Amino acid sequence: MRNLSRILIIALVAIGATAAVQAQDTAELMKQSHLAYYYAGDDGKSEVIMRMVDKKGKERTKEFIMLRLDTEEGGDQKYYTYFKKPSDISRLTFMVHKSATGNDKRWIYVPSVDLVKPISADDKNSSFVGSDFSYEDVSGRHWTEDNHTLVGDSTMDGKDVYVIESVPKKAYKGFARRISYIDKSNMLPLKEEYFSKKDKLVKIMRAEKIENVDGIITITSRSMENVKKSRKTTVEFSQINYNVGVTDDIFTERYLKTPPRQYVK
Amino acid sequence: MKKTLIALSIVAGLMLAASPASSEVYIDGFLQGLYGARLDQDNPTATEQTASETRLQLRAEDFGDKGEFFARLDFIYDGADSADYDWELREGYLKFRLGSNFDFKVGRQILTWGTGDLIFINDVFAKDYRSFFVGRDDQYLKAPQNALRMEYYNSLGNFSAVWTPRFEGNRLPTGRRLSYYNPMVGATVGEGYFFDPPPPDSKFENGEIATRFSRQVGNFNTALYFYKGFYKNPLGFDPVAMSAVYPRLNLYGASIRGAIAGGVLWAEGGYYDSRDDRDGDNPYRPNSSVTGMLGFERQVASNLTVNGQWQVDYMLDHDIFKAQQMPGVYVRDEARHLLTSRVTQLLNSELVTLSGFVFYSPTDEDAYVRLSVDYKYSDEISLTVGGNIFDGGHQNTEFGQFASNDNVYMKMTYGF
Repeated sequence: MRNLSRILIIALVAIGATAAVQAQDTAELMKQSHLAYYYAGDDGKSEVIMRMVDKKGKERTKEFIMLRLDTEEGGDQKYYTYFKKPSDISRLTFMVHKSATGNDKRWIYVPSVDLVKPISADDKNSSFVGSDFSYEDVSGRHWTEDNHTLVGDSTMDGKDVYVIESVPKKAYKGFARRISYIDKSNMLPLKEEYFSKKDKLVKIMRAEKIENVDGIITITSRSMENVKKSRKTTVEFSQINYNVGVTDDIFTERYLKTPPRQYVK
Repeated sequence: MKKTLIALSIVAGLMLAASPASSEVYIDGFLQGLYGARLDQDNPTATEQTASETRLQLRAEDFGDKGEFFARLDFIYDGADSADYDWELREGYLKFRLGSNFDFKVGRQILTWGTGDLIFINDVFAKDYRSFFVGRDDQYLKAPQNALRMEYYNSLGNFSAVWTPRFEGNRLPTGRRLSYYNPMVGATVGEGYFFDPPPPDSKFENGEIATRFSRQVGNFNTALYFYKGFYKNPLGFDPVAMSAVYPRLNLYGASIRGAIAGGVLWAEGGYYDSRDDRDGDNPYRPNSSVTGMLGFERQVASNLTVNGQWQVDYMLDHDIFKAQQMPGVYVRDEARHLLTSRVTQLLNSELVTLSGFVFYSPTDEDAYVRLSVDYKYSDEISLTVGGNIFDGGHQNTEFGQFASNDNVYMKMTYGF
């Protein structure tokens, strides 16, 4: 596949003007995929079970409720997380104001000491609560941060997919190259392969389960395999609701301290 | 006996509340063993064990459309000194909303505000240093207060007021488990000098009022504070009763905190108005002071977070204070400087946490170091080992007085 992409790129460069159009079209495909994947509805609520399995097969679980509000379609978003399990972090709340272009802002509230604390959030590539997903994997890396190339078409599990290679515009430690397999029928990524600077496959995201939720095709289970560390995290979403009317004021200190019980039960 | 009965009835109440009839009530908690030993041999305390306890914490929560209830109840078997059973209602409150702008929290609760990391200027809610110094979980640094908290939110910002009808002082080392400096004796003391100063009289006027107004300004959260009550440490002395007392205090302060330069920056200041000694000439009351701090925290590598703080405490009328001191006793500088740093390293997918915290005062020439390693063996079980090291050149400084209390501990927790 890699070689194929090289050949394709060379071919496209040779064609010149066509290549520019092509790149723009591919960026448009990635945008559509990004919107379908990370911006479904204007807001969303779901219960999440996160299973982390290490190389010895030992499993750890976290359960939480997540609220999302899109401030702008394809732009800034706000996330609210209420942890239910395990016991040592139960009732802890966590809030992210995600900036599509700049640094995110993150706050944590520790109920046992009534402490609200902003967290330095310079690194979008750091692990989300110890899992194999990074913050960016949870909320999405903006499509404008990478150059995209349509490598070709293929099929995966009987579905027609676009195969798209993305290379960060600015050197990025999260990955040097990513190959996405995007379902043509709904624009959701069925699989993403992340390669390191040395072009080693380091992690693989897979859409494990896709369902129709309130008319919106949704990945209800996805996994991230850390190839290097032989670890895997699977995230299952349930009780998903879109357009539940989450308001902007929920993503403030007031609700960080007192969870919005209409959503957080 | 009466206490045991109350405890049993609370447990029965929790269990009843947890019965299927009211399916909303949620109960969880933990069981924990904590064992600590002192490293110093020459300590005048009653025991060489700084901790030997088993603790069961039960948490119960219920909520409806109008409000929510939360209780946190600890049962402790403590064998470090003489074997003893104890229990404490750490929290037990009702939270509700009036209209769309008012939030109320009424009952026994843990309260925190301000910006510092283990430096408290405007956070004058009760602390428990007896727990903090022997390795109990971070949540035990905060002692509960029976209080009423009101918060008012509007477009200008957030106004909070906390009324604590009965004064709640800090829990300080008593001499039984941790030795401390007793100025009457002029030495570090332990057994035989049980430190238990009387709280201010139970009068309406002796209640504590703590208020804060906070507002988001761009990237920064800014706040103003006012407190009327008493020093949380018994810094005064009653020469008639020959006892330490909690002097009256007014506190005016401000803080700012926000994200900048890839990290979080904070600054906080306060004016401690010692109401019974405004001229600084009463030798039995603390002088007023002005104190400020500056701090910055940053994630320096993907799993490594480091912060630093610098605090200056400036005593007013220091010359008068100095003249009042007994000869031969170390007298603090007019400006006391305190530097702190916290380093937190997460390893092995955040299952292992290495943590270090250092307090160091170049003017008082004392230091306090907290170290711990925490390992989450499973979702339920975690293991912690740690240590508390004190050092100082003078026996009457904040940390120097605890120089004989160095200890190490281990802790096992089962969460459910």
